Amino acid sequence: MRRPRLVKAVAAVVGAGFLFPLAYLVYGTLTSVKSPWDIIAGPETLGPLGRSLTIAVTSGLGAAVVGTALAWLVARTDLPGRNVWRLAAALPLVIPSFVGAAALRAAFGPGALIEFIPRPQGFIGAWIALVALSYPYVYLPAVARFAAIPRSLEEAARLLGDSPRRVFWRVTLPQARGAIAAGTMLVVLYALSDFGAVSLMRYDTLTRAIFSSRLFSPSIAITLGLVLAVVALLAAGSERVLLQDSVAAGAVQPSSLLPLGRWRPWATGAVAAVAGVSLLTPIFVFAVWWLRGPLSGRQDLSTLWESVTELAEPAAGSAVAGSVAALAAVAVTLPVAYAAVRAPGPIISRIPTVVSSVFALPGLVVALALVFFAVRAPDLLFALYQTFPLLVLAYVLHFGAQSMRATAAAIETVNTSISEAAGTLGASPWRRFMTVELPLMRPGLLAGGGLVLLSVLKELPATLLLSPIGFETLATRIWNAAEDGFLAKVGGASLALIALSGLLTWLLVLRPGALRSQLED
Amino acid sequence: MRTLVSIVAMLVLLVACGSGEGTLTVYSGRSEELIGPLLDRFTAETGIEVEVRYGSSADLALVIDQEADRSPADVFISQSPGAVGFLAERDRLEPVDPSVLDMVDPQFHNTDGLWVGLSGRARVLVYNTELVDPAELPSSIFDLTDARYEGKVALAPANGSFQDFVTAMRELEGDDATLGWLEAMADNNSPEYANNSAIVEAVGRGEVPMGLVNHYYNFRAMAEDPSLASQNYYFPPGDVGGLVVVTAAGVVAGTDQADLARQFLEYMLSEPAQTFLTEETFEYPLAIGAQPREGLPPLADVGSLTYDFDRLGGGLERTKELIDASGLEGP
Repeated sequence: MRRPRLVKAVAAVVGAGFLFPLAYLVYGTLTSVKSPWDIIAGPETLGPLGRSLTIAVTSGLGAAVVGTALAWLVARTDLPGRNVWRLAAALPLVIPSFVGAAALRAAFGPGALIEFIPRPQGFIGAWIALVALSYPYVYLPAVARFAAIPRSLEEAARLLGDSPRRVFWRVTLPQARGAIAAGTMLVVLYALSDFGAVSLMRYDTLTRAIFSSRLFSPSIAITLGLVLAVVALLAAGSERVLLQDSVAAGAVQPSSLLPLGRWRPWATGAVAAVAGVSLLTPIFVFAVWWLRGPLSGRQDLSTLWESVTELAEPAAGSAVAGSVAALAAVAVTLPVAYAAVRAPGPIISRIPTVVSSVFALPGLVVALALVFFAVRAPDLLFALYQTFPLLVLAYVLHFGAQSMRATAAAIETVNTSISEAAGTLGASPWRRFMTVELPLMRPGLLAGGGLVLLSVLKELPATLLLSPIGFETLATRIWNAAEDGFLAKVGGASLALIALSGLLTWLLVLRPGALRSQLED
Repeated sequence: MRTLVSIVAMLVLLVACGSGEGTLTVYSGRSEELIGPLLDRFTAETGIEVEVRYGSSADLALVIDQEADRSPADVFISQSPGAVGFLAERDRLEPVDPSVLDMVDPQFHNTDGLWVGLSGRARVLVYNTELVDPAELPSSIFDLTDARYEGKVALAPANGSFQDFVTAMRELEGDDATLGWLEAMADNNSPEYANNSAIVEAVGRGEVPMGLVNHYYNFRAMAEDPSLASQNYYFPPGDVGGLVVVTAAGVVAGTDQADLARQFLEYMLSEPAQTFLTEETFEYPLAIGAQPREGLPPLADVGSLTYDFDRLGGGLERTKELIDASGLEGP
């Protein structure tokens, strides 16, 4: 199998770029005033480290179950209202964890909106919040994969006498294993990096230790950052060993929908319960915060309209930043994924691990790493400091793991024999890639771009520290208002963020996929 | 294609906006809600353009430190003395013009003149009026370790304002007394929250009867929802529980806009700006002669004013050690 060397070279360059945050952490740790070993072996590291690992693994498992079940129900069964669920199930990903967790805490418990459910907190609270807000990392790639499994496979199994349940476990699920594993790893890394949910739920993880020591003891913060990065490298590296996939794909056909029969009400109830916790509860709480002033007559109703119009500019900022970063991330990580899947080698196969590890770092660490290198760059490069291109670079570094994993899962589904057949007919590698492989990968690429888009929409630290001065997004608006407890503004801007992400996800991710399958019918 | 056009448009816009002669760049740890309108007024009155980067005080201080002599920032506004203190210790601030320092009482600026206070925030005990009889309220913060307050007083040990307060307690009462108080609060099962807002919300809905917070959070919560059953209790004068913590501003070392920076700080301490701060944000004005808004007890009647804020900037690490050692979960 001969592949253009260019792809490998590009993959290596991209991989080197993703080493910047790690290099910053290593440099900071080596030059810190305190001995790194004292910090790492201390009780203030080991306790939080154990809790970080616990929340990461359990959140990954929870999100894998929820995301896979939702994806299968939406893509392969006659679940009522599945076209609405298809979009709605992706949206919790856009809710920043600090407002999502605050909304859950405001919704449940004594004195809250729903009194009979205890207020979520501690490990359980952090786990519920993280699973509820991050399961779309599994759902989005899985739903794309389930929709692309050739009908012929399942039909063959059924003709051979397998029950529908057996078909699911033996045929359908293994076909989506790559997508599910890729998504689960994203959840694990996301849970490692999260600060908002764990701090509000008061679960003391490594990220909390990093944040609380960053100002008065920077050497502790940077050493703990390196510990987190090493954990992420190990986690992402272990997956490479675990994953050996063989999957089939053909032209997308209208999938046959499995009738749920008597399970229909149960399935609907389960989907509604997930949506209830992860999307409807936050939306309800945001609406209460936003509307309670005007509706109780204390504020003029016209202030509501004002609060909507003043969100137009940050919404535009969010849309531009999210779409540009999604495109850039897919473009930059496609060669990495392609080289790793099609031309694995001792170095090439490790690049995805490096790319993935950056996603487990808190956004603040990624942003500070870029400041560190930008300030040491020659004038010509420093001119890019705090400009839009540098901000996009920060997004790509932080979230590239998402597009890379979705892309790699998509590449694995493309049967090389189709491309090789095209090769024997005289098509050049580039032409084969553009006309045969790329169209087959498209659902996976869209899903990967969608994940980056949703992540950028809620991103805070890099946006605050590295954006062109005066650049605003809905997420920075929410943060600004939340900092000082202006809940009405938090509510309004959060609703706008959910609406915007719904619109963008439908326009850029779901609709193109749907159009394409209609064209092929 | 449309995306491409917007990128190009944005790049053109960026080049066009490149900072001109009369532009001041401010890194603000105070959020836009609390200071944005004031900056607009400053520009309207002086013609000086202000570009602001908002972020958390700690993150912005870290960035300024890392940017070193290449920092685009001319002025840094901090929510707490901790972040300006961090920069002062690392020689990242230039002395503020003496004419500006003289606008506040000497206790509200750095002794070396590296930063000046803009507004004050009093520490209070917020309580739920349906759950707490005013007669049960403590006469000193040291009473809160009493068994009758067990499990009733919410704390935010990971929050900057709580840490500033603990540092102040160390300076005023000594490390031993401070550690003793922290340990007793931990033993008393004081519930811990992420921040001030979370405590005020929890007290308002009756989840916990009382909590130690900054005074203005309850005013803001009441402005949004006056039916809340929460109210501020100010510790008697002289008690460290009623510490007044300043928000402060400093001039970033190496600025090429020193004169604009001076005008800016002068404006922030002028009568209209100080009135705006207290009316809109419920904080205490610090300029000599400025009056706090209706509803705020006079600054002289609130807690401890004799404290030297300079020390709040340094020594945070020791504060963290004490909080860690006390058994409170946090910082």
